[in-house]
Amino acid sequence: MKKLFFVIVLFAGMAGITFAQVGVKKKRQPPYEYGKAIINNYSAKVGLAPVVFDHWVHRSKFTCRLCHMDIGFSMKTGETQLKAADNMRGYFCGTCHNGKMMYGDKKVFEACSKEFTKEDVKRCERCHQAAPNPRKEAEFEKFAEKMPKERYGNGINWEKAEDLGLIKPIDYIAGVSIKKAPLATQKDFALVSKVEGIPDIVFSHKKHTIWNGCEVCHPEIFIGMKKGSDKYTMVDLFQGKYCGVCHDTVAFPQTDCQRCHTKPV
Amino acid sequence: MLPAIALLCGLLLSVTGASADFFDLPPLPPPNEYGNLLINRASTANGVKPVTFSHWQHRVKYTCRVCHSELEFNMRANTTEITEMANRKGKYCGACHNGKIAFRHNGNCDKCHNGDIAYGRDKFEMFAKIPYVRTAYGDGINWVESLRTGVINPASYLKMKSNDLPFEKMLILESEMSIIPPSIFPHKAHTAWLDCDSCHPEVFNIKKKTTKHFSMSYILKGQFCGVCHVNVAFPMDDCKRCHPGIRN
Repeated sequence: MKKLFFVIVLFAGMAGITFAQVGVKKKRQPPYEYGKAIINNYSAKVGLAPVVFDHWVHRSKFTCRLCHMDIGFSMKTGETQLKAADNMRGYFCGTCHNGKMMYGDKKVFEACSKEFTKEDVKRCERCHQAAPNPRKEAEFEKFAEKMPKERYGNGINWEKAEDLGLIKPIDYIAGVSIKKAPLATQKDFALVSKVEGIPDIVFSHKKHTIWNGCEVCHPEIFIGMKKGSDKYTMVDLFQGKYCGVCHDTVAFPQTDCQRCHTKPV
Repeated sequence: MLPAIALLCGLLLSVTGASADFFDLPPLPPPNEYGNLLINRASTANGVKPVTFSHWQHRVKYTCRVCHSELEFNMRANTTEITEMANRKGKYCGACHNGKIAFRHNGNCDKCHNGDIAYGRDKFEMFAKIPYVRTAYGDGINWVESLRTGVINPASYLKMKSNDLPFEKMLILESEMSIIPPSIFPHKAHTAWLDCDSCHPEVFNIKKKTTKHFSMSYILKGQFCGVCHVNVAFPMDDCKRCHPGIRN
């Protein structure tokens, strides 16, 4: 019996190897899904659909730093391990989604609550999405139409959108953020490419600090104390390290080589 | 054991005279259908005929990157969610087929939804009069040379210009079998049509010598070079184009 099981496993393994597709192009994520995070720490356990979080909605209104520093969301999906109770006490999503916070003239909908009526279920489903929501997709299309275009990711050039004043991401929430005097940003500098013939990278601190301040990247992702103290290659980046923490998941993907490798050879 | 296999291969090659016969090359359509496809993700299910699409008609005017990077067409047929609605909104085919750049789709249903893979055959005959650089393989046109010599001048973007990377490194790749001369890989011929991300890092890893299973048998199944070079770009029976050392 054990032998038979072993043979079956062996065959299954071999079949797996034979059918493993390597060296092919993956299906591209549609623009409205780029930056989507599915959070399912506790949802399924209590019989709810997982939470679908769209970065694009939030980054059109707030800086990255605000949620990932002041509010305290981890950079890795699911790592924050937040519970409904946290939201109800006004932490994490509940910082804004408390039914009181105003964004412009609109009230931000309340996140989780202990008791709810039948009408409230619709509100639950705004985050706990069981099926794709065509309304959200349509909202994205409507928003993206007005934004400067880009070839990859969301199809939106966020940097340009901010630069042109089409979006004005908020970086401060009273009672949560602490106002600090801004630090002077370093001038743009070049990172030398490791492959001959590939243009060097022009890295701009200024473009990053608008969204991230200093603390999103330093010192955890990049020690950043001394130039050259972090050693990395594109291979590391494609594995989701260094620049790859954001670029490939939320910020424009690293496959858009020419966005970074811009210094004329 | 290994020398025995090599000897056997050598014998086979000398008998057939060409290494192409050694591999199980996928059957190829006639030149006027090479690179043509029928797209039928949802057509038949919605009561219309599948869409005919000809690569050669499009690549005269546009490089691969225009559709496969800017317009978000996936590399595998029937995986892109092209819909009538999306086309109307100016996405996918509708980016050009809007009555301004190319024929509009309203009222022109039959031009695409005709289920005939060889629909453009008349146009292909007209092609014979244009002084393209020719080849005996695929659709009969040497696209790389035609572009280099300026016979064709395909656009590299529609609306979103990219700063193309001028990477021109020529790679020499050792063959699996010692009797086959190495293969060349000119980056320049590829970057003229494609973006870096068309191939890297999904099709080819960027770390040197770590691309696993990179062999002819996988390529012929449509992986690695085979993503394009069995269906659109010059086909695999043109051995000498990659392995220039192969004797006739």
